[in-house]
Amino acid sequence: MKSLEEVHKELDVWGFLNYGHHGIVHTPIGEVDLKTLVMTWIVLGLIVLFTVSAIRNARVDRPGKLQLMLEEIFQFLRGLVYENMDYKKGAGLMCLIFTLFIFLLFCNLWGLIPTMMSPTANVNTTLGMSLTVFLLVQVLGFRYKGVGFLRHFVQPHFVFLPIIIIEELSKPITLALRLYGNIYAGEVLIAVLLALFGLVVTFLGGFIPSVIWLAFSIFVGFVQAFIFTMLTIAYVSQAVADHH
Amino acid sequence: MEQIIKALGLNATLVAQIFNFIILLIFLRVVVYPHIVKVLEQRQEAIAGNVKAAEEERKQAEALRQSYLADMQKAREEAQAIIQQAAKAGEAQAQQIIEAARNEANRVKDSALQEIEREKEKAVAELRDQVVSLSILVADKIIGKQITQDLQHGLVKEFIKEAGDLPC
Repeated sequence: MKSLEEVHKELDVWGFLNYGHHGIVHTPIGEVDLKTLVMTWIVLGLIVLFTVSAIRNARVDRPGKLQLMLEEIFQFLRGLVYENMDYKKGAGLMCLIFTLFIFLLFCNLWGLIPTMMSPTANVNTTLGMSLTVFLLVQVLGFRYKGVGFLRHFVQPHFVFLPIIIIEELSKPITLALRLYGNIYAGEVLIAVLLALFGLVVTFLGGFIPSVIWLAFSIFVGFVQAFIFTMLTIAYVSQAVADHH
Repeated sequence: MEQIIKALGLNATLVAQIFNFIILLIFLRVVVYPHIVKVLEQRQEAIAGNVKAAEEERKQAEALRQSYLADMQKAREEAQAIIQQAAKAGEAQAQQIIEAARNEANRVKDSALQEIEREKEKAVAELRDQVVSLSILVADKIIGKQITQDLQHGLVKEFIKEAGDLPC
């Protein structure tokens, strides 16, 4: 049985590991993970392709399949947002929630294509997302409540301040690590299942666990994208809610 | 902290990913989002319009139905009235015919009675004549006296007149 490193090396048919130090390249902004970035760009291209072809020839009376898919996603998310906060605040947030969900969904599912990788299987991506959400929550909190937003740090009593700070900081970290852990574990298991069986065993039925795991990973991809989005909505609604 | 960053493999990819995400956000906000919202709004409006139109048409249909019902009721009443009128007219006509027949019958009966009366008078007159003649003949025989025919005739007639109109 091969080691994970070896499997990754074998799967690296595009030669990302040949650049820089194990695929980590020096750039003016610092060291970046080349494969993750390239995969992200592909995913961005796919999202553009999907959304633009969905809204091209968008029809009111008889929507196409892609258009219907996009609309369903949108309406599903809008339902979630409107359940958690009032319409005026929710409408401004809709686009971000929509983008977040679509982006994470495509990222999660892209790793299931052979030799491809989920951008979300890299902790940089997920932490970037969760930090964006964290900043957004703080900004929206200040925008809707002003300085009074700071008051929730010392409620119900001043002694809770450290706990609440930890709680606030744990939100983006858990958000990032949950997504990263699920997707990265999925990719590792895909690689492990590939490495576990020799060629003969694979053809004799060793591919079955892989197939099952891939099917489950589709489900996991949806669920994780949904959880990330749902928690974002929940955090924002907590920050902007009128009662407190 | 260094160690944590190293263990997690954190590097500038994070910044790049945030940048990528913001690019995607701007793209979707500018190109895709308004389209979806517009289409959904238009569909909602279209559905609301359809519902409204359906309600309107239902009301119109109801009004039409009411007017048809009223028309039918009116027609039925008119038909009833015409039938009643016709029945009344028929009855009146029948009455008229019966009346005419009765009148005719009365007339015929009266004329028959008059005829009978006339015949009776005629018979009475004839009888009187014969009685006169017979009386003369009998008187002739009994008294055997020859009186002139005319005188005798006048006498008897006078006698009968005096006797009055006795029933015979």
